[in-house]
Amino acid sequence: MITFSNTVKRYSNGFEALKGVTLTIEKGEMVAITGHSGAGKSTLLKLAAGIEAASKGSVLVNNQNLAQLKETGLGVLRRNLGLVFQDHKLLFDRNAFENVALPLSITGFPRADVGKRVRAALDKVGLLDREKANPITLSGGEQQRLCIARAIVNRPAILIADEPTGHLDQEYGARILDLFKSFNQVGVTVLLSTHDELNLTRLNCRRIHLNLGKVAA
Amino acid sequence: MSAWISSHVQACLRAFKRMLLAPMATLISTLVIGIAIMLPLGLYSLFSNITAAASRLNTEPNVNVYLQVLAKDEDAREIEKRLQAMTNVANVKFISRETALTEMKRVASVADLLNGLDNNPLPHAFTLRPRATDTATLEQMRKDIAALPKIDAVVMDFEWAKKLKRFATFAERLVMLLGAVLALAVVFVTGNTIRLQILTQKDEIEVSRLIGATKRFVRRPFLYFGVLQGALAGGVAVLAILALTWWAGKEVQALTISYGSDFQLQYATPEQIIGIIAIGAFLGWLGAYLSVSMYLRNSRTA
Repeated sequence: MITFSNTVKRYSNGFEALKGVTLTIEKGEMVAITGHSGAGKSTLLKLAAGIEAASKGSVLVNNQNLAQLKETGLGVLRRNLGLVFQDHKLLFDRNAFENVALPLSITGFPRADVGKRVRAALDKVGLLDREKANPITLSGGEQQRLCIARAIVNRPAILIADEPTGHLDQEYGARILDLFKSFNQVGVTVLLSTHDELNLTRLNCRRIHLNLGKVAA
Repeated sequence: MSAWISSHVQACLRAFKRMLLAPMATLISTLVIGIAIMLPLGLYSLFSNITAAASRLNTEPNVNVYLQVLAKDEDAREIEKRLQAMTNVANVKFISRETALTEMKRVASVADLLNGLDNNPLPHAFTLRPRATDTATLEQMRKDIAALPKIDAVVMDFEWAKKLKRFATFAERLVMLLGAVLALAVVFVTGNTIRLQILTQKDEIEVSRLIGATKRFVRRPFLYFGVLQGALAGGVAVLAILALTWWAGKEVQALTISYGSDFQLQYATPEQIIGIIAIGAFLGWLGAYLSVSMYLRNSRTA
């Protein structure tokens, strides 16, 4: 479903974040990318989502080479991905419901069914009773869950989450990871990065360890 | 297809909502753009009215030469020869004092007055058509003719009409230039309004782009905003021009009636009104397009 072949990412300042990564993530798999800060975890996820472009080598998602996709094609691809950001990227000028509804307005989802879809997503992350709340009034964990609700509202085949437990304590982080596990159990391919070793052991999924821009054996 | 239409309807509604959200700002920028559109169009309609008035005037160059009242028929014949000998004179027409008197008696209001006179107070006269039209040559010619004996006056009364016509042409070009500059101003004013809106919606644009919104999708509501505002401003300009024409028209009518003319100011036609609104809409669209494109090019989300 996602294939990196000899992928190199060099930023314009000369820093090489990925130094030739080759890996394949199968359909329906749940994969955790681990490694120290600066190992290239975020860069790997950004390349998979088409937010950054590879400098060398290729990235294939759904058998499409991202380097060959035009602006519109990339947009269509991203609408079929669920992206969870470390800093949530929630909009504070609207309530929780409207935040989750944003992807539906981009895909042109029938307006009559928006309410049902949004509430289903909010229900999955346990925020159904907070739909009127402004995200700024939510706790860090609730904000992270709201971000996940927004990522799954379009029912994507692939979920990509950058450090979804980054700002959370151990217990809350475990609940978030369980949430991802439950999506994976219904067939969603999940790719996430984390350095939460303790919870990962419990999660029991495939792990890829990055070290200085390379896959460690 | 229906999704495409609905996304346009959504974008248009969002643009409309944004306008209503800041009614004062919308009003002010609409008025500013409206005035910017109105200025060149108002001046254009003023000058095209002047040109229309000027074209009714005889601008063919004629020089009238009046002899002294004492001048005899022989003097006139002598002068006629010398006039015909001048290189710049194309055509000489003699108007005797008798012809002039008969002509004048046709004008009822002075007929009685002239009939009451014992002798003809009018002089012999010539009407010349000069070959050259440039001021220097004409001025030289005027001096040459004035130097002839028994000449009372040399009158070139076509000059002011010609000047008026030339001024109208010049003014038309000036209006075009002004129009181009102000069109640019409209684009910039709209662009700036849109830029300020973009800044308040920076986060929404960034997130939307990250989760799959195309540039076109992001641009759409801003384009509708630009078009709506431009069309509204065009409407403001039309109203202002119609009001000005009506107001000035009353004065002009009073003036032309006193001059015995039936000249009237021309109101904007329905085609022109639609054209002005369309120009406003187009300039608004252009300003919005440039503004959003510039922002999207500089934003880092690929």
